[in-house]
Amino acid sequence: MKRFKYADERISEKDILVAIPSSVIGVGILSLPREVASVTKFADGWVPLLIGGCIVIFMTWAIAKFASGFRHQTFLTYASKIVTKPVAIVLTILFAASSIVITAYQVRKISNIAQQYLFDQTPIEIVALTFLLVVVYAVSGSRAGLFRINIMFLPIILLIAFSVIIFNLGWFEIKKLMPVFQTPPTDYVKALNTSTISYLGFSILWFHLALVGQPKKAPKMAALGMCIPVGLYIIIFLVCIAVFGNAVTSNLLYPTIELAKVVEIPGGFFERFESIFFVIWIMAIFNTTTMAMDISVIALNSIFKNTMKLKIIFMLAPVVYLIGMLPQDIVTVDLLGAIMGNTIVILNIFVLLLLTVIAKIRGVKRNE
Amino acid sequence: MARSFYRKNNKQKKSEEENFSLEIGTNLVENLNKINKMLEEPNDLVIRKFTIDSASHRTAIVYIDGLVDSNYIHDHIMKNLKQATELPDDKHQLFDVIHWEVITVTDIELGQSLEDVCNAILSGKTVFYLDGMDQVLIMDTKGGENRSIEEPASESLIRGPRDGFIENLRTNTVLIRRHIADPNLRFKNYEVGRRSKKDLVVAYVAGIANPDMVEEVKRRLETIDIDDAPESGYIEQWIEDSFLSPFPQVLNTERPDKAAEAMLQGKVVIMLDRTPFVLIVPATFGSSLHSPEDYYWRWSLATLIRILRYLAAFISVFLPALYIALVSYHQGLIPSDLAFSIAATRDGVPFPPFIEALIMTATMELLREAGLRLPTPIGQTIGIVGGLVIGDAAVSAGIVSPIMVIVVALNAIASFALPSYGIAISFRILQFGLMFAAAVFGLYGIILGYIMINIHIVNLTSFGVPYSSPFAPNFLNDWKDLVLRVPITMKKKRPDYMQTNDQKLMDKGDSSSEKV
Repeated sequence: MKRFKYADERISEKDILVAIPSSVIGVGILSLPREVASVTKFADGWVPLLIGGCIVIFMTWAIAKFASGFRHQTFLTYASKIVTKPVAIVLTILFAASSIVITAYQVRKISNIAQQYLFDQTPIEIVALTFLLVVVYAVSGSRAGLFRINIMFLPIILLIAFSVIIFNLGWFEIKKLMPVFQTPPTDYVKALNTSTISYLGFSILWFHLALVGQPKKAPKMAALGMCIPVGLYIIIFLVCIAVFGNAVTSNLLYPTIELAKVVEIPGGFFERFESIFFVIWIMAIFNTTTMAMDISVIALNSIFKNTMKLKIIFMLAPVVYLIGMLPQDIVTVDLLGAIMGNTIVILNIFVLLLLTVIAKIRGVKRNE
Repeated sequence: MARSFYRKNNKQKKSEEENFSLEIGTNLVENLNKINKMLEEPNDLVIRKFTIDSASHRTAIVYIDGLVDSNYIHDHIMKNLKQATELPDDKHQLFDVIHWEVITVTDIELGQSLEDVCNAILSGKTVFYLDGMDQVLIMDTKGGENRSIEEPASESLIRGPRDGFIENLRTNTVLIRRHIADPNLRFKNYEVGRRSKKDLVVAYVAGIANPDMVEEVKRRLETIDIDDAPESGYIEQWIEDSFLSPFPQVLNTERPDKAAEAMLQGKVVIMLDRTPFVLIVPATFGSSLHSPEDYYWRWSLATLIRILRYLAAFISVFLPALYIALVSYHQGLIPSDLAFSIAATRDGVPFPPFIEALIMTATMELLREAGLRLPTPIGQTIGIVGGLVIGDAAVSAGIVSPIMVIVVALNAIASFALPSYGIAISFRILQFGLMFAAAVFGLYGIILGYIMINIHIVNLTSFGVPYSSPFAPNFLNDWKDLVLRVPITMKKKRPDYMQTNDQKLMDKGDSSSEKV
């Protein structure tokens, strides 16, 4: 069996393995340790992170399993078969809308962080605009190209993340992690919500799985791919607590970037490692943003079949920019992020349950 | 997109060239006059009239002096014709006897029209006329002066074969044949050029090269419609995938060993007459940074050199941009001691770092270009003296800072360390773009530039093969011969991204590699 056919624009299951962590790892992890640490005690945050991770891995697997049953069919096609066309269109528009807001959120967030860590004078409008233009350039290319970009960037992203962790080993204080299990159960539930939201990014499975040539192994690959961010998040959270302690972590705006600030490169080649870290992390945020924007492009393109892809992108871009620039301050931006996160989790669960149940009841055949 | 545009132009009716559609008559003198008239009696046209078989038949041979091997004509045509006796009287029989028995030239064919005759003469063949016949014999007598086989100046290696391609197509195909003595080696002939017809050969190893890809190469070559192709660069620009890309999507080489090695990887080689540069398709980013020497040295050394080359690629694209970004935006990133010394050296320099870098890189490009045009000894002097003197003087005049000179010099050296001139040039183009991005946005601009280059690379294909392979789409097996170069004994397969018909390189070893 050949994985790659000459001049073939399809993607393989292994690309899904890479695409899932690429679209999950983004701005979320930069502030995640603070959000989790503020509602849990000591290092207990790893429990909700792990449980949330397991839930999300299962959901990823379930969505991939369901979507791969309809080989080479777009979401709109198989959803129309199951729940009539009008309902399918509404669901598609919901996905498109949520992806547009997520794109806008990422664009806004990156501009805010860039202002904080890279330049203090450049207005965020300019930073956001340039970033959005690069995203538009990527999305207007071939779809297989997006997955190739993920493959090129993910190793670099993981490398920089792990180098931050390794260079921090010297500042570890195990006693900051102790004692364990001090958090009351109700706070675990609160933290669980935060942690589940941070794992968002599996919406691509609804739309991009249609491009996979042989989707048989896709569910396994998607679940495996989801394990990467879950593992990474837990490790980064623990390192944050071990280095800063719970109290400091819950008061730092971006604990993960602050973690990089502690790093001192042996040999004194660079100072202020956090700038380097953030510059590389832009690639991760870029991957998340392009995948999110591509979802909305695919979704809208499946509804407006006769419209050119480029036209859709050029119409979407100003919308994304305006939504991103709308919130006045960083608190509103974070609120927007939280609302969107919850919406998307609910949307995904709802669509999965709806489609599975109705497909069972109406006996819609797969793989037609 | 470009191709469709050209295709439209192709649809225009080919203008009939009336002069060339004239038939060959039966009268010898008339025929010879026609040729003379058509070529306007050039002084290098040789028309030798003579009689054979005791003056009973009038004949002539026509050729262009200098394009042919005159000794060969004498030995294999003139001598045989003069000595032939007991020839038949009937013209047709006589013509056949001469064709099949008398003339001992190996490559011989019949010509029917004046167009055949003209093209044959102009490409170094000799034409034989017999009075009373409306057919001619066209004999391949190509010869004349050729450059001898030398080591290619543009791709010299420390270790490796010393032969290089020359301007003669036949010699070049022979050089390939000597490297690949395989019955599956295929040479497919094409003719390009409307005015000046040139031979073009597509070479590949059947059974290795992906047939779809070979078909695609042939399809593109058949669309070529130009007056003349003086060099294979014309062919390259006609058949490449994207003319907007700064990256070369076709590799070129003067080395038969490199061409042969590429063919054994499943690639296709295109050779044009009158140029020593042959084209190798498809090209990928990884293969642009490979040199044949990588395979001749032991693997540890080769791997080290390859890593060094990737470092050189990085420096040649990013170094000036990084300097600009660090000095103008992110002084905090530089260790404080170094930052102070940079600030001290920049004291008195009137320009911002971007202008400073632009001045120095432009000077560097000028020196490089000037060094190319001058004869070798002077060129080297210009390079060294120019670099030293101008660099030193610019620093003492306070136009640029010494660190800038180091940055630009390192950048230039890195770009010369790359094995392919084409990719080095494309890196230099990118470098200017990144310098601009760094001047506007600092490190943020550089990373956006890097992302954009990556977007471009993943969307680029060369003859259907993704330019970014085997990085992405990822072929782990091909990583054995990418940045690293594993020992020869461990390289068991041809590159996966080429999708060859015969992946196995060796019988030994595990069969598990077959199950992909």
